[in-house]
Amino acid sequence: MTSPFSALLSALIRHRGVTGCMVVGEADGKIIDSSLQIGVKGDAFAALTASLYRKARRAAAAAGFGATGFFELDADGGRVCAAGRNDLVIVVVAEARANVGLLRVEMLKALESFA
Amino acid sequence: MSDDIRSLSETLAADPSSVVFVQLGEALRRSGQVELAWRVATRGLDRHAQRADAHDLVARIAIDRGDFARARAEWEAVLTLSPGHGGAQKGLGFLSFQQGDMEEAARYLGAALVADPTDESLATALDTVRAAQPDRRPIEEGPTEPAPVVDARTLFNEVLGGAGEAAMLLDSDGYVVAGQYRTEDGRDVAADVGAQLSGVSDEAGRAMRHLGLGRWRQIVFEADTASVAMAPSTGGVLLVAAPRTVPLGYVRRLLERSLERATRSLGRRA
Repeated sequence: MTSPFSALLSALIRHRGVTGCMVVGEADGKIIDSSLQIGVKGDAFAALTASLYRKARRAAAAAGFGATGFFELDADGGRVCAAGRNDLVIVVVAEARANVGLLRVEMLKALESFA
Repeated sequence: MSDDIRSLSETLAADPSSVVFVQLGEALRRSGQVELAWRVATRGLDRHAQRADAHDLVARIAIDRGDFARARAEWEAVLTLSPGHGGAQKGLGFLSFQQGDMEEAARYLGAALVADPTDESLATALDTVRAAQPDRRPIEEGPTEPAPVVDARTLFNEVLGGAGEAAMLLDSDGYVVAGQYRTEDGRDVAADVGAQLSGVSDEAGRAMRHLGLGRWRQIVFEADTASVAMAPSTGGVLLVAAPRTVPLGYVRRLLERSLERATRSLGRRA
């Protein structure tokens, strides 16, 4: 079965170093569709990244910076990227070696289809 | 609404005279619901005007609302009710620092550090304030070459280039330790911006505990008018903001250079 997000997820998961990608509801942090390598804790990444993205979006708005687009967190053990619109967030889990610039372009392009 | 906030709200609704309003107000403040926190705290204070923790809560929310005069008044009330209260001394220290009164800032921060010697953010802030007061260093440090006068608000100016770029070092409570954020009309809104954005690093810390990714090293995000980068630094968080027209990779470089600057200047105790 394919969802409206299947093509997007298939493209993202093929990027170097990407171990999982999901479309997540921003409000509830639940996975709408995903493509995950074995062992990636999709539910945890979805819930926590959506929460983090929501926090950043609200904080940026409160600070007068306007709406938030792309978000990236670097940690010792990898990276998490997110980009959202209309209560949907694309979440990408990746290793440090991933090309984030390329992921960012692809995620922002995909957001246009969420309008 | 988190379970904690729901549970505390129910407890307060069942007994409006309960002192649980202090926990509820703080939970609301930390979740970013500042105006709701304000209503809960000020109503609670009306009922419990002799509680130092109620005045302390109102002071911290007043800071988040940008009402520095009210914050000062409330923290002074705390010290009247509870002399030596560490939170009030810390708050008044940072407030005095923000308002440029380094002498009073040093006095309050020093007293707060005595009350809690393990608070690294206090030690860092006190170092900053003392660096801005070279003539007031203790005599026992001995004659050395003149210390450079460092205005903590301009600490990052040497690494910031273009218009609209800003860097701020925040302590773990979201208070500004160094740096500034000037708006086009010249106002320093670092305290407001810092208070809003420091919550993102708190959220990142919580997320890291569950995701198994180790410590977070850097967060970058783009908003309509600004790109923001932040990283843990000297017991708090360093935050850099630049106009959206500045490339994201350059914002990351600014963050790295600002981190080096903060560590070089303030990191002696970090």
